[in-house]
Amino acid sequence: MTKKTESRIVFWVFLAPVLFAFIMVMVIPFFLGSYYAFTNWTSSARVDNGLRFIGFKNFTDSLTDPSFLYSFGITFVYTILNMIAINVVAFALALLVTGNLRFKNVYRVGFFVPNLIGGIILGYIWQFIFNNAIPSLGSLIPALGFLADPDKLMLSKNTSALAAMVIVGAWQYAGYIMMIYVAAIENIPQELIEAAKIDGATPWIRLRAITIPLCAQAFTVTMFLTLVNSFKQFDVNVSLTSGGPSTMLMGQPILGTQLLALNIYNTAFISNKLSEAQARAFVFFLVLAIISIIQVYVNKRKEIEL
Amino acid sequence: MKRIALAFMVLLTATAAFGAGKLTLMQNKPEIDAQLKAYAAAWGQKNGVTVVIKSIGGTSGGMGPQLKADYAAGDMPDIFAFDGLESFKEWEGIILDLSKEPWVSKTSVAFKYNGKVYGFPVAVEGWGMAYNADLLAKAGIDPKTLTRYDAYKKAFEKLDSMKSELGINAVVSMAASVEMGWVTAHHNFNSLLANGLPYGDLSVVNDLLAGKVDMQRLQEYADWVELLFKYADKSILLTGNYDAQVGAFATGKTVFLHQGNWVDPNLKAANATFKMGFAPHGSMKKVTDGIFVSAPSFYAINKESKNVALAKKFLNDLVTTPEGANYMVKEAGMIPAFSGISLNPDGQLSKSVQQWAAAGKVYSWDQYYFSGDFRDKVLTPIYNQFAAGSITKAQFVDLMAKAFKDNAQK
Repeated sequence: MTKKTESRIVFWVFLAPVLFAFIMVMVIPFFLGSYYAFTNWTSSARVDNGLRFIGFKNFTDSLTDPSFLYSFGITFVYTILNMIAINVVAFALALLVTGNLRFKNVYRVGFFVPNLIGGIILGYIWQFIFNNAIPSLGSLIPALGFLADPDKLMLSKNTSALAAMVIVGAWQYAGYIMMIYVAAIENIPQELIEAAKIDGATPWIRLRAITIPLCAQAFTVTMFLTLVNSFKQFDVNVSLTSGGPSTMLMGQPILGTQLLALNIYNTAFISNKLSEAQARAFVFFLVLAIISIIQVYVNKRKEIEL
Repeated sequence: MKRIALAFMVLLTATAAFGAGKLTLMQNKPEIDAQLKAYAAAWGQKNGVTVVIKSIGGTSGGMGPQLKADYAAGDMPDIFAFDGLESFKEWEGIILDLSKEPWVSKTSVAFKYNGKVYGFPVAVEGWGMAYNADLLAKAGIDPKTLTRYDAYKKAFEKLDSMKSELGINAVVSMAASVEMGWVTAHHNFNSLLANGLPYGDLSVVNDLLAGKVDMQRLQEYADWVELLFKYADKSILLTGNYDAQVGAFATGKTVFLHQGNWVDPNLKAANATFKMGFAPHGSMKKVTDGIFVSAPSFYAINKESKNVALAKKFLNDLVTTPEGANYMVKEAGMIPAFSGISLNPDGQLSKSVQQWAAAGKVYSWDQYYFSGDFRDKVLTPIYNQFAAGSITKAQFVDLMAKAFKDNAQK
């Protein structure tokens, strides 16, 4: 055996387990799912139900369903708010823990820990905070009495419930994104900052002219991660609001904070329309793929410019 | 290569052998999971088989997804629970006809379809307005009078004016958030469908399914819903979960609770020692002297299972052996759906359900004639908005009527 063939064998042997898993749980289900999106498949044992090819019906049904359109809109709003919230908080925290701070490693760990809590549990914890902890704080401190008013509970109105989801999202994810910023900030050559200091640049100018431009690569990564993660948000959505409270669209009562992933899930398992849910998931995939490609393209161009 | 093939063969036969001595049951009552597992383990030892219990709770989105995933994977349980007509239809193709089983003659609430028996009733459950008898006595209200809308309205007004004397936050503990849609769009909804009608009378259900709405009945029902929402604890109504809702009643912070006898274990855990019972729903102007009692879910046997005989024996033993009866009544605290079981559950609310049932004052559960899709995705948001005050009673009535008409056209 020559050295070349040997290294090729090693290459494939090491790749095989991952490749196998990837093909089995990603590639095959993806194509199978796209096929099912054009059928009436339900994965149940209904008597009158043979597998039939029904063309684009699942897609047209989805796109005329007010709850799906609403979920699309609300997911965009949530994604934008969440991206801003997470990145601003994460970057601020990163600046904090790379500065001259005592116990900064303790802070780094502390900020990162929420990321290790599963989304479902996190949702229930925050549900308790919004529904019980904050109102009882309001009844204890007279100055904060408005917090105890049941009409002002964050989860009782759909706009404030969406804000609540952004708060929880940022709390969960900012620590993780902070780590990426920390790595980027620590990679900035110290002499650049020193030179700027000697030139008399204020901290604000140093941040704008040196730190932010030199973190451009990190921004590409963090923007992508936060975009994709916010767009796919599911577990916190389920446990924190279950999609409620409800609101009206096109004369129909619908769930006011039901993001796309939850909408797809509910279509599949509450409405028992598995193939229609597949169609929605397919649309979801296409839109998310296009948006993230545009985002990466724009960020990459920024990297070169700077 | 040969060695790998051999290893594969061994693995295959091992799993096959393991699979044969295994009986799987999937059920939707997580509150009895531990008790059922203990019983199943003992039963399995006697019968030389491993019984695997899978418990997944929640609304119509609870057990369904797992069952579908297992079905798609060819790993369908031998026995599984379903809750009524809509979910029966979902699995009709593989549910075994149980008409000839010995337990059939001992129950009146088995699941029947076209004259054949398909479901083993897990228990009997009931709900009405659970009341705190001590607080009612203090306020001088006799629960026996609470049988119609006007009586409730007067009682609620009186209790509301005595809040500080009674030490309560609100009159009713009611939940109407989206997460609690099963309280509004399943249980409360049933008042519209079944209250005041003879047991098993489907006239209102069939009319509504056909899109014919009795506006008088709907108006009276809307009054009832409004009354419940108006005197409910606001924060529990809008954002509370099950624990918050039951907790308020258990700690004496409300006089009424809109739940069924399944809260008995929760009340016991919360050390609620006051006297309590069920009063009928007051969803109509006329007297409706009865509560809603039925089997909440049924066990079906998978026709394609390899263990049909064992599965049949498992269900039969629940009824005919003392161990089975002891598990159902004493361990799991359920009201047995079968005659010939002399044990009684300990919970106060379960006893109250038994008294109503013994007196024959019962109304049926008809919400399962509507799909989970309709209840959870169409009705739940309507109730939720009415509770939040973003729609008026007139709009509530219009939206409900429109929902039935749209549903009939599907």
